[in-house]
Amino acid sequence: MTYLTRRSVLHGSLALAAARPFAAPHVAKAAATTATVWFAQGFVQDEDVALRKAVADYEKASGNQIELSVIPFAPHRQKVISAITSGVVPDMTMSNPNEILQLFAWQDKWLDVSDVVETQQAQFSETALQAAQAYNSVTRKRSFYGVPLRAAAIPCHIWGSLVEKAGLRIEDIPKTWDAYFDFFKKVQDNLRKQGERKVYGLGFQVTANGVDPANLFNAFLIAYGGQDIVTKNGKLHLDDPKVRQAAIKAAGYLGGAYRDGYVPPSAINWNDADDNNAFHAKLMVMDVDGTLSTEVAVKDKHPEWYYKEIVTHGFGYPNDNSGKPVPSIVPITQGLIPKGAKNVTVAKEFLKYFIQPKVIGEFIELGLGRWLPVMPSLAKSAFWQNPKDPHLRGYAHQGLLGPTRPDYYVFNPAMAEVYSQHVWSIAMIDVAKEGVKPEAAIDKAFKRIEEIFAKYKIA
Amino acid sequence: MRSASVLDVGRPAARWRTLSRSLRGGLKGGEYTWAVAFVVPYIAVFAAFVVYPVVYGLWMGSETRLYRELFADPIYQSTVVNTVLYLALGVNVKMFLALLLSGFFMRPGRWTKVLLLIFVLPWAVPQISTFISIHWMLNGEWGLLNNVLYTLFHVEGPSWLNDRWTALGAVIVSHIWKWTPFWTLILLAGRMAIPLEIRDTARVDGATGLRGFVHITFPLLANLYLICTLLSTIFLLGDFNAVNFVSGGGPANSTHVLATLGIRNAFEIAHPRLGVAAVMSALPLVIPLVIVLMRKLRTSEVQL
Repeated sequence: MTYLTRRSVLHGSLALAAARPFAAPHVAKAAATTATVWFAQGFVQDEDVALRKAVADYEKASGNQIELSVIPFAPHRQKVISAITSGVVPDMTMSNPNEILQLFAWQDKWLDVSDVVETQQAQFSETALQAAQAYNSVTRKRSFYGVPLRAAAIPCHIWGSLVEKAGLRIEDIPKTWDAYFDFFKKVQDNLRKQGERKVYGLGFQVTANGVDPANLFNAFLIAYGGQDIVTKNGKLHLDDPKVRQAAIKAAGYLGGAYRDGYVPPSAINWNDADDNNAFHAKLMVMDVDGTLSTEVAVKDKHPEWYYKEIVTHGFGYPNDNSGKPVPSIVPITQGLIPKGAKNVTVAKEFLKYFIQPKVIGEFIELGLGRWLPVMPSLAKSAFWQNPKDPHLRGYAHQGLLGPTRPDYYVFNPAMAEVYSQHVWSIAMIDVAKEGVKPEAAIDKAFKRIEEIFAKYKIA
Repeated sequence: MRSASVLDVGRPAARWRTLSRSLRGGLKGGEYTWAVAFVVPYIAVFAAFVVYPVVYGLWMGSETRLYRELFADPIYQSTVVNTVLYLALGVNVKMFLALLLSGFFMRPGRWTKVLLLIFVLPWAVPQISTFISIHWMLNGEWGLLNNVLYTLFHVEGPSWLNDRWTALGAVIVSHIWKWTPFWTLILLAGRMAIPLEIRDTARVDGATGLRGFVHITFPLLANLYLICTLLSTIFLLGDFNAVNFVSGGGPANSTHVLATLGIRNAFEIAHPRLGVAAVMSALPLVIPLVIVLMRKLRTSEVQL
């Protein structure tokens, strides 16, 4: 029997160490051809199926390997933030939330991907190209730190069947902003007269949870003329009287509708999914909510809802009160490569493959159209222009072919913090529930916004 | 200047040998090597999973500017008030109920055992799904509670989660409902460990009912009760689920506690250091609790 001795252990260890260089080439080769990629799980299964197909096609075409992790939405967000903080990063991830691009570009945490974007630059929409850029406070420059993958608009979803039940017609809906939303108050009044106890005209997310309330407030802010609250140079313009008036009107309309009983009372504490659930339960006649998830989620189970009862409003938002078109803010999901990624070459190669119009177009369409493409040419496909589908054409127009603009955090990441601290929500709730005058609610909000922007000074 | 003698040169070496012997714990040669080989993995695991995370957390929350930023957050003060209320009511009401109920479940009989089985169900089922159910039950428009109120009494119930105090109350009640069974079982085990002879002797001396509880049971359970209360306080300080899934920290961020504020700062605002700072701001409360707990665990008195 042989006993282990200190000498034999030392000899064995030395032998292993000596053998290490012979094993290394295999490891190095594996590392060079394999990239770790993180994506957030889709809302419908078809999205994940489409992603896996695109990845499999890339692997087949390139011979490289993609270690794909499809992670539920909220954990993915936490995982990305933890990875960037700890420095143990994947080779590529999608942006989740989208503003993470600008927040971490500010801290010089992403790799410049201008060379990837360049391969399809002529194809991308102007809004997508703007949203892929961010300001780096270390280099003091703006550059492409994201690769646009998909887009979303924030449409108005309407129960056409409830409008008809109220004795009105979809065609009767006015085309200008205030009159448009006032119409649904009338729908509620009519339904209540018929004995409907729990139907509300407007599904405004006057809550301090999730991204919906900021999207809603921004739509109203822009419609009332406050689009220059943050300009392309990243400067804040709270001293602009037009911006202040627009913010006051937005807080007044949204909070006032709640206070007057036209918004479900529970809306004040909705989370991200609650408005979808409430809409599907026909608790409200309309809501303004990002993507076509409201419609896509019921397409299989309730095709009659998808094809007949639910209406995605026209070709974008109603015009502003003076009759001019209101641009839609279009959030863009980006592909990101963190600094410290081990296999940048494969990650970039994969992204270049993935954003080819044919590949990305198929990926978006297989996902049932919840997301929009980031290339206007793709919105002209038979899928998006299908005359039998009541939602896709209008959605594509609103988010891609009509007037669009990127979100404000693209110009200054401070706005991302304004949203996550729910400054606009507090203003709406102050008006809706606390009886605060819109002017006072906006003064309080502006004070907080100034404090937040003071942390993000752009040279 | 004195020249170095042979004796002087030998002294440090002798000291080193003594120190080395004491460090080796009397083990010699190969024995010592094997001892080190067995201990190193444990030290490595302890360093990786205990020392490193704690030190990393302390490092992340070590900058004073983080605390300036935290205290400037308009919701921080209300969060601290909520945390104190959550701890004071959540822990004490729950532990008091557990103490009473553990007495009830000491009663003999088959029905008591069946009831105990039903009673522990809230604790046994996964907490996230139950808290989400409570969130839905309390919905003002289509929640179960208000529908029952309307069906039975034609009363329109309030929107329970729309007001800070009813929402915080819902969180506290949910926590008590969820965790009372667990602490009841712990205190029940404590009661069962009291020797029958003591109880029988006390009964002979006339210490029955409330007197028996005051003079015999409670003094013997007091140490266990205190330890359970301290442990529960520490657990509750880190509790995220009840607040997050019942009230979501709303309305208007008015029902956050430090644990949910930490997660919000870390992952919603994408500022992990600020999140750590929010949790670390509870340290002035946690450290004394841990010290008292450690002292109580070391107590040598004859108590359960």
